[in-house]
Amino acid sequence: MIARLAIAAAVIAALATPGAAQVRRGSVAAAPQPPKLFGIDLLRQEFRIATGTDTVFFGGSSAGLGTPAKAALRAQAAWLRHHPEVVVSIEGHAEAGDTRDHALAVGARRAQEVRDYLILFGVPPAQLTATSWGKERVAVAGTSEAAFAANRRVQVILVRLAI
Amino acid sequence: MKLALTLFGAALLAAPASAQDPGQPAAAVIAIPPLSTPNDVKLADGSSTLAIAWQATQLIATDLRATSELYPVGPDQKDFYSFPEVTAPGFPRWRAKGVKALLTGFVQARADGRLTVGCYVYDVAKGRELGRKGFVVAAADWRRAAHKCSGLAYSSVTGAPDIFDTRITFVAESGSGAARTKKVAMVDSDGTNQLVLTKEDAFAITPRLSPGAQTVAFTSFLGGTPHIELVDVADGRRRSLLSGSQISFSPSFSSDGQRIAFSMLQGINTDIHVAGSAGGAAQRLTTAPGIDTSPSFSPDGQQIVFESDRSGTSQLYVMNADGSGQRRLTFASGWYSAPEWSPDGKSIAFTRRAADGLRIGFMTADGSGAKILSSGPSDEGAHWAPSSRELVFQRTGADGRNAIYRVSLDGQDPRRVETAQDGSDPDWSGVSE
Repeated sequence: MIARLAIAAAVIAALATPGAAQVRRGSVAAAPQPPKLFGIDLLRQEFRIATGTDTVFFGGSSAGLGTPAKAALRAQAAWLRHHPEVVVSIEGHAEAGDTRDHALAVGARRAQEVRDYLILFGVPPAQLTATSWGKERVAVAGTSEAAFAANRRVQVILVRLAI
Repeated sequence: MKLALTLFGAALLAAPASAQDPGQPAAAVIAIPPLSTPNDVKLADGSSTLAIAWQATQLIATDLRATSELYPVGPDQKDFYSFPEVTAPGFPRWRAKGVKALLTGFVQARADGRLTVGCYVYDVAKGRELGRKGFVVAAADWRRAAHKCSGLAYSSVTGAPDIFDTRITFVAESGSGAARTKKVAMVDSDGTNQLVLTKEDAFAITPRLSPGAQTVAFTSFLGGTPHIELVDVADGRRRSLLSGSQISFSPSFSSDGQRIAFSMLQGINTDIHVAGSAGGAAQRLTTAPGIDTSPSFSPDGQQIVFESDRSGTSQLYVMNADGSGQRRLTFASGWYSAPEWSPDGKSIAFTRRAADGLRIGFMTADGSGAKILSSGPSDEGAHWAPSSRELVFQRTGADGRNAIYRVSLDGQDPRRVETAQDGSDPDWSGVSE
């Protein structure tokens, strides 16, 4: 854990983007932010606007994170570090072409990979829960490759305020 | 002449095409004249013993028609036997029709308001009795007695365990998209008497019956994390299998009901574990990197077949019940998933994933002789009938709706099991006494 935090700190320091600069100002060590009094829906909207997307996609039966997924997750991590009051559910999914049990395991593995990546980029583990829907909640119905690809995903969902 | 008459009868009964296909094993023709009654007694619910006898006869014929091994002729009112003739039927007229077996029986009112149902099965060619059974049931439970008669006929003629007085658990589905609900339900094997076991929560998958169908283990999404729960069929009482908060799923009972094998997350790894079905700590059986899931005990409880993608694609593996001696069973192209050991121990059912989609099939328990039984493209989750001669599985239609089908091992077309709602994830119980 100490090693991970050290890596995260190093990575954050190396990032020269405006987002990273904000991160340093609002890091976990700083004074607690005042409670946000608006609803979770507004926060979700803010999260999507700030980070571009709440969903990342995967190839095949893989749980490996591609370059676009990593970029999206780094943006999400930056936002989440600013919002320690938000509890997040990381929900993994698999395609309908997979079998039911295997799909559940693949979704769980994807969610766990995303959780580990967000932790690597400084989000406190206590803020993040990972779960899987397997192939039970397909975003796009059908057996086409396009439908399958759309369902190989992890969605980062703001669940509630921790306070 | 015999043959012509048989075919004539078959045509009248709208036979499945395969019953007349050359090259298919011929189904044994069984005559089912109407069950008799010593005297027609009015019952408290407005029915009568004669009416129930006729309904029971029709149910027996429906049961046996649903098998591919017996082919019922009748029931026909003109074949009615008087009560004394039930135990002394004449055989020549059945021989003339090419009938191999005969089922007779009766329904009799008892002084306590219940019914006595008796059934007799005869070998027509030899003119001798193959078996008899009698049951005392509440009038409202006549269906169970009829199923028992079907079972007697099936077992007497085929020599295999019967499948009629058995239950199928499945997931009853309604709604679509994020509003879809999935509840654990149970029906008799003919699709009647539906019971919903998880009323409160919206989402459950992979229900698995204990050997006597008293308990269903399933994967619950209550609280947001998939975890294994058990529900008692009799009173709906529920409990979690494990105390922790880890993701667990894919439960499966040992044939003595004492143990449950299942999958549990270990970091990013999914491994097979086993725990006592009454509670207690989980023991980890596999540690290979990757996904190990869908465990199924051999009927003697000594081995477990499971699915693992440790080689890169999902394949079937076998290990001893303590996790030792793991070895790969399938080496063919495609992915092999969701194995289930047959009740007679000889075969393993599976779901095969290939370029043409998901299909179900079976192989011998040593991994040889794999045979695909369904046309796909979205068939999965094959589970054995207690006879080890049939499988029940889930088919997803082009419209995304799920239905339950059963298929016999001889390669006939799968037939749909009618359920009140869309159904998925079926599992077939053994015979309860």
